[in-house]
Amino acid sequence: MEKKGTVTQLSSIFPAEEAQKASKRVEEAITERQQQLNQIKGFIDDNISLINLVQKLPDETHHNIMVPFGKAAFFPGRLIHTNEFMVLLGEGYYAERTSKQTTEILKRRGKALETQVESLKAIMQDLKAEASFFDATAYESAEGLVEIREDYVDEDSSGTLPTAGYENPDSTSLEVDNRKGADEDEEYERLKLRMDELEREEEEAERANESESSDEDEQTQNEANSTISQNSMNQEVRSSPVEASDVPGVSKDGSSHGDHIALNNSTMDKALELPQDAKKVQTPLSSSNTAFTGSIVEHAHNIGMQLPEQRSGARSSKPVSRFKMQRK
Amino acid sequence: MAALKELQRDLENKANDLNKLQKDISKNHQVRKKYTIQLGENELVLKELDLLNEDANVYKLIGPVLVKQDLAEANANVRKRIEYISAELKRLDGTLQDLEEKQNSKKEAIFKVQQRIQSLQAGKGKA
Repeated sequence: MEKKGTVTQLSSIFPAEEAQKASKRVEEAITERQQQLNQIKGFIDDNISLINLVQKLPDETHHNIMVPFGKAAFFPGRLIHTNEFMVLLGEGYYAERTSKQTTEILKRRGKALETQVESLKAIMQDLKAEASFFDATAYESAEGLVEIREDYVDEDSSGTLPTAGYENPDSTSLEVDNRKGADEDEEYERLKLRMDELEREEEEAERANESESSDEDEQTQNEANSTISQNSMNQEVRSSPVEASDVPGVSKDGSSHGDHIALNNSTMDKALELPQDAKKVQTPLSSSNTAFTGSIVEHAHNIGMQLPEQRSGARSSKPVSRFKMQRK
Repeated sequence: MAALKELQRDLENKANDLNKLQKDISKNHQVRKKYTIQLGENELVLKELDLLNEDANVYKLIGPVLVKQDLAEANANVRKRIEYISAELKRLDGTLQDLEEKQNSKKEAIFKVQQRIQSLQAGKGKA
């Protein structure tokens, strides 16, 4: 039979002493945490007794007490103003509080302490798990346990080599596992397909809603499809017929400054080119539509004003700047 | 023979440097711990100050006397302190990282020197 794996002494990888050392270190960490825990538990007890005292103090207007004087001496005294507390908030800050408010602060502190206890307990549990692992390792390596490593062999090869008696059950169980995995995969695929289908349906429903709502708009504008951006573009166009109808007349009047108008026209045309067909439908609408008074309308007005001036002197400056000058 | 001695001296120096670095790191850790505790305390104070009424009397202990302070002022002070401590913690983190990098490079250098000493000794043994 061929060699299938390697056998190593566990103690050669993890010497018993090393493992014991590690476990000892973890134990030390645990005891340290335990001390912290005890300290915090002491704080909690103190806090509880303090809350009780603070709640009881305002029951009387004054208390007869022994006032500490120096390290060893006391003398009788009287505690008055029993509902006024000076509470240290930390960092040297004090606040004047009543008994009730003080108990609230103290209770909040108690809660903070309890969360600390919880986190400490969690840490300790982790450390204990670690310690038990190290202990087990130390014990096993001391026992002289060996680690056997075998390279993983595929199922089909194990089928052809049924020599090892106890290897067969192993491989069959592996196969079963694999089949189970395949089943899960199939189920996952089916689920995914179903999810995709549902998503598609949802999207279609959304799209249907959209087109329905936009259809109402469309009926007035006599256009097929519309998105919000197209709607806004149509608005721009709505005002443009004013310009489009005016400009040709102007250009006929003054052919001498044609280049200026042509420039204007060409820029306008560019803007108009895309929604030309929409414009035709909207020309009747635009006359009644007074809501949009953009720069374009003003523009046309200006051109009319400018005509005589331009005829008299052919200025070669840019038209836009001239408008600006006129506006001033 | 002289080369071996040189190397050993070098090793000693490097070991000393490493020791110093480790001391620095542990000192840094302690300072960091102190600041984290202070940060927690300040955050607690801020929480309580936020819960106080506008007209509540707040005092600050300065030396042996309690000095009355405006609540808003106290709030601003605590906030500033928290900011300062956070900045300081960040700075400490930076220096700590720096020191740790230095420590690692030192360790590597020491390892190399040790190897060279070993190879020299092995060569000498053969010769």
